[in-house]
Amino acid sequence: MQGKGLLTGLSVTIRHFFGKKVTVQYPEEKLPMSETFRGGKLVLDQKKCIGCRLCSMACPNEALDLTVETDENKKRHMKKYIHKSGRCLYCGFCVEACPTKAVTWDKNYAIACYTRTDLTYDAVKSDGRNETHE
Amino acid sequence: MTEAVSKVIRTEEYQLSMGPVHPSTHGVLQILLTLDGERVVKAVPCMGYLHRGIEKLMESRNYFQCMPYTDRLDYVSAMNNDFAYCRAVEKLAQLEVPERAQYIRVIMAELNRIASHMIFIGSLAVDVGATTGMIYPFRDRECILDIFNELCGARMTYSYIRIGGVKSDLSVKVIDMINVFLKNLSAMIDEYNDLLTGNEIFQHRLKNTSVITAEQALQLGLTGPMLRASGVNYDLRKDNAYSSYEDFIFDVPLGNSGDNWDRYIVRMKEMRQSAKIVKQALDGLPEGSVMAKVPKVLRPPKGEVYVTTEGPRGEVGYHIISDGTVKPYRVHIRRPSLINLQALDLMCRGYLVGDVVVAMSTIDPILGEVDC
Repeated sequence: MQGKGLLTGLSVTIRHFFGKKVTVQYPEEKLPMSETFRGGKLVLDQKKCIGCRLCSMACPNEALDLTVETDENKKRHMKKYIHKSGRCLYCGFCVEACPTKAVTWDKNYAIACYTRTDLTYDAVKSDGRNETHE
Repeated sequence: MTEAVSKVIRTEEYQLSMGPVHPSTHGVLQILLTLDGERVVKAVPCMGYLHRGIEKLMESRNYFQCMPYTDRLDYVSAMNNDFAYCRAVEKLAQLEVPERAQYIRVIMAELNRIASHMIFIGSLAVDVGATTGMIYPFRDRECILDIFNELCGARMTYSYIRIGGVKSDLSVKVIDMINVFLKNLSAMIDEYNDLLTGNEIFQHRLKNTSVITAEQALQLGLTGPMLRASGVNYDLRKDNAYSSYEDFIFDVPLGNSGDNWDRYIVRMKEMRQSAKIVKQALDGLPEGSVMAKVPKVLRPPKGEVYVTTEGPRGEVGYHIISDGTVKPYRVHIRRPSLINLQALDLMCRGYLVGDVVVAMSTIDPILGEVDC
């Protein structure tokens, strides 16, 4: 019968019309991010960091700009940990490269900002706010 | 219009620029159409609007750092691109991939193939005007993206398949998610069949339009579903089995006439076959490690390789030349979308403007890959 296919298609639509919703009502509702989620800002745990620079060496796009300082006990400290998130590919190679697991993602995916300078921040001073670089 | 009248009223050919901001050009592709009335005389795709110079970028990064860039070629099926790149580097550096990693790679590549074909069905539906038909495959693709998100932390640019293996082993949660998805997939495909395949208007738009014969397809160098829709049985997973594909039983769906309809049906059937492969791979998943011993600083010996993999759009090939340093000397990527797109002119000639949209859609190009 001509038009039978159309009716079958319509029946699918009508069935779903009364079915359960599959969408999430963002921003009222938010999905939890997975354990492995790569995104948001980098958080540096200064107690764990040994200043080895492996993270910036693993970065494919030079998104990390580090300043390492040696103190009187010849221990290296991270003075500045600039993450240029505009250059970041979010591959997570820095996090994987870290031997002491000092770098992690904060998993906050809402990272849109108004100005270009806001894309660059210092993870050492990271207190969850936009710390702009210069 | 009768013959006599058409001789009196001479029509003039004119040019129409379709894209690069046309909703049905799947990104930023411009098609220069030469039209005679509403018939297409010539269709020239103009590419390069999304060119990022990935091949060149890869020359200035080491072999590991190239991974995120291969993700960004064909962003709809990034797993398959990573897969091809890693196989090429592994061949170059003579690395042996553990069997468990090979199986996991197959699972991920096939899941990504299903996701990619779902995008194809959705975009084809919206291009022929069936907007409802788009929503369903996109909804179901979300299930696969959730699996990938759980697995590697990203929905699109995975970087999961690594040189020498895969990033991490499958967790119990991921295996459960895949099993649930496989269970539901059949119902999902049935739903698309109800919505689109049986629809008379949809059939009318697709059948007997943009026919490519087997001979023409081979001459144009088409690969993937485009080639198989014309009836040529060529699938690298069967003909040049890699990464344990020889362990799995599956069919290669073929078309008869090489029209838009066949290209659609071949992809629909491929989804079921991919699911079959994933099921077998999950059931027979061997024990062991998922990563080979790869040196931290990888310096493959001097030489060059060309390795091909069957992606969802066709043959993805990586030609890598090594000069013995940590960075590749030259990388050339055979992108199936680019080569398949060359068939556009042949597919559009003599057809109506409305058919250009459908032809474009059944080629299923991803502009990130076309422009590289």
